[in-house]
Amino acid sequence: MIRSVYNIMIREWKRILTLPQLYVVLLIVPPVICFLYGFIYEKEFARDLPVAVWDEARSPLSRQFTFMLEQTESIHITRQVHSAEEIRSLMEKGEIQAGVHFPRRMDEHIKSRTPVSITLYTNSASVVTGKLIYKDAARVLITAGSGVILQKLVKTGMPEGKAMALVQPVRLTSYFLYNAQYNYMKYLVPGLIAVGLQMIILMATVIVINEELRDGTMPELIRMANGAASNIMVGKGLAYLGASWLHYILATCIVYPFFAGGQIGGSFSLFILFNLLIIACISIGMTISIIVNDVMVACDIGVFYTSPAFVFSGFTFPRWGMPWYDQFYAWIMPFAPFVDGFFKVFFMELPLRYAHKEMAILLVYTVLTFPIGLFVLQRKVNKLMLKHA
Amino acid sequence: MLSTFRNIIRVFLREIRLVTKDHSLLLTLLIAPVLYAFFYGSIYKFKVEEKVLLAVADDDKSELSRTFVQELNKMQIASVVKAGSLQEAQELMYYGDCQGYLYIPYGLQQKVLSLQQGDIVLAVNAARFLPSSELAGALTTLALTVGGGVRLKYNQMQGLNTKMAMQETQPVNVDYRPVFNSRSSYGAFLLPGLLALILQQTLLIGLAESVALDKERRQVPGLVALAGGSYSATLWGKGLFYLLLYGCYTLFFMNVNYSILEIPFRGRVPDVSFIFFLFFLTLIPLGVWLGTIIPNQLMAAQLMVFSTYPVFLIAGYAWPFEALPVYMQWLSSLIPTTPFLKVYISIVQTGGTLADNSMSVIHLLLLCMLYALLALWGIRRLEKRQQSLSL
Repeated sequence: MIRSVYNIMIREWKRILTLPQLYVVLLIVPPVICFLYGFIYEKEFARDLPVAVWDEARSPLSRQFTFMLEQTESIHITRQVHSAEEIRSLMEKGEIQAGVHFPRRMDEHIKSRTPVSITLYTNSASVVTGKLIYKDAARVLITAGSGVILQKLVKTGMPEGKAMALVQPVRLTSYFLYNAQYNYMKYLVPGLIAVGLQMIILMATVIVINEELRDGTMPELIRMANGAASNIMVGKGLAYLGASWLHYILATCIVYPFFAGGQIGGSFSLFILFNLLIIACISIGMTISIIVNDVMVACDIGVFYTSPAFVFSGFTFPRWGMPWYDQFYAWIMPFAPFVDGFFKVFFMELPLRYAHKEMAILLVYTVLTFPIGLFVLQRKVNKLMLKHA
Repeated sequence: MLSTFRNIIRVFLREIRLVTKDHSLLLTLLIAPVLYAFFYGSIYKFKVEEKVLLAVADDDKSELSRTFVQELNKMQIASVVKAGSLQEAQELMYYGDCQGYLYIPYGLQQKVLSLQQGDIVLAVNAARFLPSSELAGALTTLALTVGGGVRLKYNQMQGLNTKMAMQETQPVNVDYRPVFNSRSSYGAFLLPGLLALILQQTLLIGLAESVALDKERRQVPGLVALAGGSYSATLWGKGLFYLLLYGCYTLFFMNVNYSILEIPFRGRVPDVSFIFFLFFLTLIPLGVWLGTIIPNQLMAAQLMVFSTYPVFLIAGYAWPFEALPVYMQWLSSLIPTTPFLKVYISIVQTGGTLADNSMSVIHLLLLCMLYALLALWGIRRLEKRQQSLSL
């Protein structure tokens, strides 16, 4: 049996290296997408986004606030405007992403106990830039506002420490763990590459058995397997698992360390989790390939099944924010539990024991699909053997 | 002119027959767009994430800390999970049972009452972008509100009446007005682009598969002959089917999906119709050209599926165009999605017009011409090669 499995694995590697539909997907696409994702987020942050200032105050304070806004990472003051309509119109044209309004007689009002409102407009049709600008602008304006209160209290003769306690009686210290700077590159690249790699394995394995049937090479394969479907599935599966290890090396030794700040070689926990994902994908892909005889239809099923994986996994938009039926659908794909575990072992660098639940769920996909594939393939093999007997 | 039109119709009718006989093309062109649109769209039905789980370890156990936690729990974004200790709160986050934790140390109320600064600590799992930033924002607002409340009380105790005390409490306020997406929701931002991307990718996959299928079956010379030997009649005859089909999908999406998913439409119908028309006119030759260079139908499907995420990411929609490296900006400028999304989002989301986006419209027109030339060249090259092989 071991010899038969080994021979089938070697035969599959020969197919991988000679058939364009396999070597393009397994050997050319991975480096292309890995480096593409890495280069997209090369700049890591969106910096110096164009922002307009509508300064009706024209005061030392408004100029100071404008200066403080300009010093932030995301904001770059590009022009002065004279109305809210102008801000809106420039946003429509895409010339600015936000606008800040300082009201008339701002300084006077502050001194005369009349509260003032500084208005921040962001083009939230683009959520990412809108939130980045809001985060920086709110920090500046809140700090500036606190500074005004502090100055007022100190002027009344209050000691600075006591005044500070009144400005901010409850001081909130926030820690942004595992991605302190909200670095887009660190966050998105590993996830995008992981989803790409599982898609690659699934798209390759959905055509591994039906293609043999279509091309008439199945009898040769059955002979090598001594008529055992398990030898075929294990032998072929090992070849694709081997290919996925090459992908793992590419991702964790080159792309993650250089583009996403990960450690070289990933970690043992990540390797285990990745293997469980790939084994699940191989089992699912092969089962589809065994059940669906038409290669093109199997490929389409693969496309339809695997392409929503990233969106449904909860990587960007959390699963608990989705309707129940979408949450249910997400569990049909092994990428969903993988993402939960991936956050723990890759981003949070936690020991594997924290991902036991996800690992168990990933195993379920293999346990459910492998026997179905094995049963159907054995029946097909038996039929073919009878036919050729 | 009339004969050219007849040739186009002939190729158009042949394309209908080809699509209806091929399972894969049927699935890609007739089922996938509608299914995907409802499927993907429904994810963002609620548009914003709510009730993000936050563990709270309250060592103070005072009236102030309890009020703070109660107020936090009332917020739309947060849902409090009680933890017995800081360590338990950390473990909850490690196991994925919450997205962060808040620690209220002993003595908070006592400090605040004696006019000293009290500290609370928030730790969020920033590996998860959206929930952590929302939680941190909400907590900051709450801490500021509590601070405002304390100052109000202090001012009242100083003898100021309620109105004056209020005025003294917060002399500078930030009035935040998110324009064109008032809740700054991820769903409202993503859905319009997502629907357009579904149209684009299914069209490109279907058309590239169709051309690759003709190529695989060595039917390109026959196809060109059916078009009266005209390469452009071949291109536009094949393309007419996709133009009409995707025109119908657009009409459907812009009415039914926009209405079901409650996506606001702020622009003018003629503007959005024109930009979609021009977009499809650019995608059709692009799809044909890709079909001529990909060896077969199977590989067309395999390769095109991997283009979806990269195309979306470099189009300047999810990530600002200006934040891409220069060479990526060049690559991005070569795909029709980039100028199209700029114009389409401006029209749909902000109420912009074609005139507001004239440079992007010209950009799309230029791409249309470029890909039309490439498609014609591709068809000609295939015809010559297959003719010479058959000789």
